[in-house]
Amino acid sequence: MQPNDVAVNIPEVIQQIPLNYYLIFSTALFVIGIIGVLTRRNAIIIFMSIELMLNAVNTLLIAFSSYRSDPTGQVFVFFIMAVAAAEVSVGLAIIVMIYRNIRTIDVGVLNKLKW
Amino acid sequence: MTFQTYDCLQMLPIILLSLSGIALLFLGFQKSRALLLPATLLFLVIAFVANFLDWGKTYMYFRDMLLVNNLAMIFTGVVLLSTFMVVSLSGSLADDEDAQPAEYYAILLFSLVGAIMMIGFENLIMLFVGVEILSVAMYILTGSDKRNLRSNEAALKYFLMGAFATGILLFGIALLYGATGSFVLSGIGNYAHSATNAGGSMLLFYVGMFMLLIGMLFKVSAAPFHFWTPDVYDGAPSLFTAYMSTVVKTAGFAALLRILSVSFSGVYDFWWVAMAVVTVLTLLIGNITAVYQASFKRMMAYSSISHAGYLLIGLVGLSQASKPAIAFYSLAYSLSTIAAFGVLMLVARNRPLNAAVFGDQTTLARTDEHYDAFNGLARKNPLLGFVMAVSMLSLAGIPLTAGFWGKFMVFSAAADRGAVWLLVVAVLMSAVGIYYYFRVVIAMYFREGQTDTIRVAPFYRIVLIAATVLTLALGLLPNLFQGLI
Amino acid sequence: MEGFFMAFYRMGWHRTAANYVRFIANLRSFLSLLSMNTASYLPSDYIPIFIQLSLALGFIVVTMLVTHNIGPKRHSVKKDDPFECGIPTQGDARAPISIKYFLVAILFVLFDVEVIFMYPWAVNFMQLGQEGFIQMVLFMGLLLAGFYYVIRKGVLKWE
Repeated sequence: MQPNDVAVNIPEVIQQIPLNYYLIFSTALFVIGIIGVLTRRNAIIIFMSIELMLNAVNTLLIAFSSYRSDPTGQVFVFFIMAVAAAEVSVGLAIIVMIYRNIRTIDVGVLNKLKW
Repeated sequence: MTFQTYDCLQMLPIILLSLSGIALLFLGFQKSRALLLPATLLFLVIAFVANFLDWGKTYMYFRDMLLVNNLAMIFTGVVLLSTFMVVSLSGSLADDEDAQPAEYYAILLFSLVGAIMMIGFENLIMLFVGVEILSVAMYILTGSDKRNLRSNEAALKYFLMGAFATGILLFGIALLYGATGSFVLSGIGNYAHSATNAGGSMLLFYVGMFMLLIGMLFKVSAAPFHFWTPDVYDGAPSLFTAYMSTVVKTAGFAALLRILSVSFSGVYDFWWVAMAVVTVLTLLIGNITAVYQASFKRMMAYSSISHAGYLLIGLVGLSQASKPAIAFYSLAYSLSTIAAFGVLMLVARNRPLNAAVFGDQTTLARTDEHYDAFNGLARKNPLLGFVMAVSMLSLAGIPLTAGFWGKFMVFSAAADRGAVWLLVVAVLMSAVGIYYYFRVVIAMYFREGQTDTIRVAPFYRIVLIAATVLTLALGLLPNLFQGLI
Repeated sequence: MEGFFMAFYRMGWHRTAANYVRFIANLRSFLSLLSMNTASYLPSDYIPIFIQLSLALGFIVVTMLVTHNIGPKRHSVKKDDPFECGIPTQGDARAPISIKYFLVAILFVLFDVEVIFMYPWAVNFMQLGQEGFIQMVLFMGLLLAGFYYVIRKGVLKWE
């Protein structure tokens, strides 16, 4: 089969699932992430929830991009992934720095800055 | 498709700053730290000159990713000037054993690249990348005092809140893309202008717009999303607090101004009420909470929230006049804030922490940054007293200072839109501001304290004087600046 | 990758996968935000999913039951010990790991992800031509500058 045929067929395959479903799916993922950020006390788990939020965005962007046959959305996803990696390394470094000083990563302990 | 030298050799500040940042990293391998500060300042001056090479023209760079016009150049100039001043106040880093000046300066230059992207973006990809470059650099600098628990805590809070805000911003961008099919500002603007788009995808558009705005308001610390600001500004080393409260805010408002005026001006009726509510909340919370602070540094954090409120007034009254108004306000605010932090750093360094009383230095409340530390300062150090007094007057918006004209221009931009009730709140809150800004002036001039003469390095002194002179000059001759735009 | 995808597609498994998603999403269809124009599906359309689901569950249940019931059970101290590649176990599993390992892991994450920018370039190598090549050389140059900085800092020295 020619590569061209693949390019023609892919949107058709994707469109078997309506766009709404992707929208609801990624909104659900995003909300799960938000709830995780708001309710968890462990810095690493909060951090994982934030990553979940970013990945919900990635899913949504890819869905929109496929439906419009417009590659810009997928390029954006590349940028999100690369930047998220940079963010991960800085965030983990901060968490390790705190762990070395106080031997815990429970955000409840961090209450030195109060007025 | 040929290689376009035109495209790549023009956007000079970004390229120069990136390369000089890398150069600084490698300069750091030298034994001597003496070269770092002059080199950084030189790089900043070169970038500043390169920025204004295209004066009077409008260009689109990197395949329509970044726009450069006079307004963008002015904002970039403000940001570069603020960085220049902050960096020149950093002389003591070279003597600090724990500090890593080469890395700090390199990160500052890299973060400027992000700020410039936020100022001139034409594509939402650039907005996102710019915001992230700036924020990630700030997370590192906030936590740069590695042994200090307060700095650690500030870094973690800033990081978690900042990343959370980025997530919301991104979801907004994704929904906007779904509704309009474009990341380009003018493409989104066209969609917003065409009124026939009522229906399902208009919902996507509105939700996306609000999430994008919430993400950006987080970054500029507007009121319902401000709660991280006092802790982060308080915990970060003063030098980087000065940088955060000026450069990040300027870049954030330039970005907000750009996206609101280009993309969302077609649906002004839809967002202005929400923005007005945010503005009023920001003004109330920022000013009233600032009154109750015992620490000068924490007061400055709330003061920066309240100034975000004044800048938001310029956005609510979005018009052609609000562009120079916001630029001028950013400049006036940056000059005064950096001068105030400059004096604070000198005072705090002169009064070492009384660790014997509390034992553990890391958990100690920073009494050296309280109002009391300024008692009697002006007697022995008239220059420092004067610099601080002028910057407080400017922040409070007293006539004959730059701050007054900043407020005046922003308020008149909003008055043209007829938002009078907003101005009433703003003027009332300015009156509250006078109270807490004058507390430090009173402490310096009228209180007794055992301050001895503080030694100020010559270059440090020149920067403080320059900031004061510029504040007064802009206060006397505001047209100097207005004529530029 | 394409070949794999085509095989997947020709065998009709994409429809099964799609049905999976549809099934879950239909439960939430009352949440639908926009006007939907989906074709209605008969209950019989979901039969493949149930077959697959029951096969998957059945495999797990059957293997668990069978392995527990055939084969003799002999307990001894040695046998109940956690298995660690044949060597005696070394204390607690929560032993602290050297910070060096963490640094290397972080650097791996950073440099590893940058490769995603090379995929689009590699796919469109001919079309992008000289311009794309120069840009990619610049990109790699910046990455290598960072790598050189890491080496000079001595992060990768294990001692």
